[in-house]
Amino acid sequence: MRKRITLYSLTFSLPLLLWQLVFFVFPLAFLVALSFWTVKNFRMEPAFDTINWVTMYGRSVFWQSYGLTLALAAGASVLTSILAFPCSFAIAFKLTPKMRQLAIFMMVIPFFTSYLVRVYSWQIFLSDNGIINGLLGLTGLEPIGMLNTVFATMIGYLTLCFPLVVLLQLFSLMFIDRTLIEAAHNLRCGRLRTVFEVVIPSARVGLVVAALFAFILSFGDFVSPVYLGGGDPTTLSILITDTTKSGQQWPRAAVIALTMIGTLLAVAFAAISFAYKGRGK
Amino acid sequence: MNNFNRSKFVEFGLRFYILLSFGFVFAPIAASFVFSFNSDRFPSIPLGSFSTEWYQAVATDPLVWDGLRNTLFVGFIVSVVSTILGFGAAYTDFRYRFFGKSVYMALALLPPTIPVVIMGLAMLAYLSRINLSGQSISVIISHIVICSPFAMAITRLRLSQMDPDLEAAAWNLGASEWAAMRYVIVPFALPAIFGALFITMAVSFDEFAISWFVSGLNETLPVKVLGFLQGQVSPRINAIGTFVFVTSMTLVIIAQILLTRQMRDTNIVAKD
Amino acid sequence: MQNEPLVTFNGVIKKFGGFVAVQKLDLEIHKGEFLAIMGSSGCGKTTTLRMLAGLDAPTEGEIRLSGKPINDLPTWQRDTPMVWQSLALFPFLNVIENVEFALKMRGVGAKERRSRAENWLERMQISEFATRNIAQLSGGQRQRVALARSLVVEPEILLLDEPLSALDANLKVRMQSVLQGLQQELGITFVYVTHSQSEAFSMADRVVIMSKGVVEQVGTAQEIYRAPKTRFVAEFLGSSNIFSGKCDGNGNLETAVGKLHLPKAGTTQRKGQSATIVILDTRAHLSVTQPKGDVDFVRANVIGEEFTGATATIYLEAEDGSELRVQKDHETLAALPINVGQSLYVSWQPNETHLIPDV
Repeated sequence: MRKRITLYSLTFSLPLLLWQLVFFVFPLAFLVALSFWTVKNFRMEPAFDTINWVTMYGRSVFWQSYGLTLALAAGASVLTSILAFPCSFAIAFKLTPKMRQLAIFMMVIPFFTSYLVRVYSWQIFLSDNGIINGLLGLTGLEPIGMLNTVFATMIGYLTLCFPLVVLLQLFSLMFIDRTLIEAAHNLRCGRLRTVFEVVIPSARVGLVVAALFAFILSFGDFVSPVYLGGGDPTTLSILITDTTKSGQQWPRAAVIALTMIGTLLAVAFAAISFAYKGRGK
Repeated sequence: MNNFNRSKFVEFGLRFYILLSFGFVFAPIAASFVFSFNSDRFPSIPLGSFSTEWYQAVATDPLVWDGLRNTLFVGFIVSVVSTILGFGAAYTDFRYRFFGKSVYMALALLPPTIPVVIMGLAMLAYLSRINLSGQSISVIISHIVICSPFAMAITRLRLSQMDPDLEAAAWNLGASEWAAMRYVIVPFALPAIFGALFITMAVSFDEFAISWFVSGLNETLPVKVLGFLQGQVSPRINAIGTFVFVTSMTLVIIAQILLTRQMRDTNIVAKD
Repeated sequence: MQNEPLVTFNGVIKKFGGFVAVQKLDLEIHKGEFLAIMGSSGCGKTTTLRMLAGLDAPTEGEIRLSGKPINDLPTWQRDTPMVWQSLALFPFLNVIENVEFALKMRGVGAKERRSRAENWLERMQISEFATRNIAQLSGGQRQRVALARSLVVEPEILLLDEPLSALDANLKVRMQSVLQGLQQELGITFVYVTHSQSEAFSMADRVVIMSKGVVEQVGTAQEIYRAPKTRFVAEFLGSSNIFSGKCDGNGNLETAVGKLHLPKAGTTQRKGQSATIVILDTRAHLSVTQPKGDVDFVRANVIGEEFTGATATIYLEAEDGSELRVQKDHETLAALPINVGQSLYVSWQPNETHLIPDV
């Protein structure tokens, strides 16, 4: 065989490898080191001290944030999955191939279109003098305070996750063998029951992966909880930005970041093993 | 109960739900567009009169222009470098099998799944350690990390549509590896390469969190928007927002058209 | 040396990890011959071709082209153009650009390139499609483009890897005669890999039959068909009246279906030696009553029949489970009770059998 490692092969494989090593792996590794540094007189000093871990983990505020973030992300993940499913189901099974293509095309656009500005726009809808309350006022109803509530935060998470979750669900639903569904009907499995007995189990991996992505995105997002949720109570992401941007408490922020990564890894691992559970080779 | 009628109802309901979903997804974009032309200072209904004053206010704001210049500068470099890196990785995955490939693939694809706040913090801490923070270059470096996976995925998808014999056929006809790359692989992957350029530019154009952490004074436009958001509500954001939407939607639409056309071409070939 | 072979495989072995694709291959390919390599999938035929093209490197052994070892020569430095099963035409180039490709890679100037390519398009009768997209061509036209693309460099040898497998039956036959005509006209060597007997036997001067990485037999179509060397070859050719057993030393073979006569050529077999005899399905007869005279016969039950145009093939099963097959015209069959389960006698002249002595 020709030599495996040639100038040619290295030309294509090496640049990305080096880049991601130096600017992705190293920064994350540095975060680990940083979490053991100390801060004295607003200056960071390299050290090996567990003080940041002890301090952060000793604070009840931290654990409250942790629980809240976990709950919000889990809620967003479930909510988005449930709300997205009828949409992806309908696109997968009820549209002509041409319309389906168009629907996918339209769903990809918002995924790449400024999330930040979209969240800002939701303020226009949700604020006390906003569109929704304006509409309510026209019908003579009392205005409802929606901004700075968990409801608004969830709207933000939905804005963030919905298109991606629809796309991921769609890609697993599209590849279900249609004859499976017809066979189920043929065996007297009703419409709705077929969805639960045949469609969802067949698409399980895709559905779980979609939910996982919703969790990851919501877990790390700080825009919705700040600008729609009002920043109170504090999520871990807000805690990181506050700790980083105000003063030199980067080592503590690193502790939060690493805790988040650990949590995400655990959740991802659990989700993937659940998705593939009971699957043969 | 008439089963047939019920099914009609369900069919209609599901289609209506699709519309509702798109309504939800595009409502903020539409609202931003509508209110950017609204004369009232506080966006609500009923609408005020048509006005372009917010666009004028934005257009005369030198800070906005600075941000835009930075964004475009960063976006251009990021898209070119990410596309090159992503192409190389996609080709490596397509062509070679080697020990530790799964680690390589993880490095090539994982970065966008790391929450942006964490990436932001890690990049800020690391880049300031090596004296690269607070500059445009810091934003560029970080954006390439998260953009190249998109370029990689898009190119890889295209290469997987290629007849695997094509490259070998070129060698067999006398093309060296380099010549086969130039005359076969690159021409075949060209639509995806352009698609990747546009998508990565859109990703860079919209990314605000990491930029906010690492940019220092050289803020990109989305970071400016973030700054505006922290201040009071102003329809100026709608004007900038509309501009941002139109720009990134254009980029994404061009990329998608390129990528769907290439699919169609391949399908014709495969159908025979 | 006047009859030096164009290609020599010298003890060539190819392993993919633990899997041995080609085991110790010794093969000579002559100048100007049409050689077919035939076998079922995974037999090593394509690997053999790819090693010759330089796309796979032999694990052991040596391959020589025109007397020179080519093991270390990368494919782009060999003149061993190949026609691919998928054709592998470049979809982003039009017809003439595809044909010009190899010349461009060899640094031939644009003008000469064009005229040589045009010449080949004309030869393959596809000049009118010169500027068409590959996607706009029919299967047969693509086939011609692929041939022109490989032949434009005027090689001494052309490698073909199941190039006709995607075509429908009629087109296949037409392309077979195109290929055969082309080979005779050019006088160059064709090495043609296929799993199809009809393609191999109708076109090739010599056929190589491979199985599990081993060459089972090399010879002309006649030689192989008349005298399969191994039981595998006999089975591969679709013979089904195959009986193995031990010789009794008196010109008979003890088999599971009884004592059968060995053909005259085989009466010298020693006692106790194992051997196999094959009866072509066209040489066997059917009867309801026990056949008389100097014939061998086996009693078997009908399990089904298959119509193939002017003739039909009757499938039978003997008591020990061995399968028999008899091909007859419809008139003959009309006189027989061909029903599933019907017991019939299958008979043949002992001298019309073919003997495969076990090595």
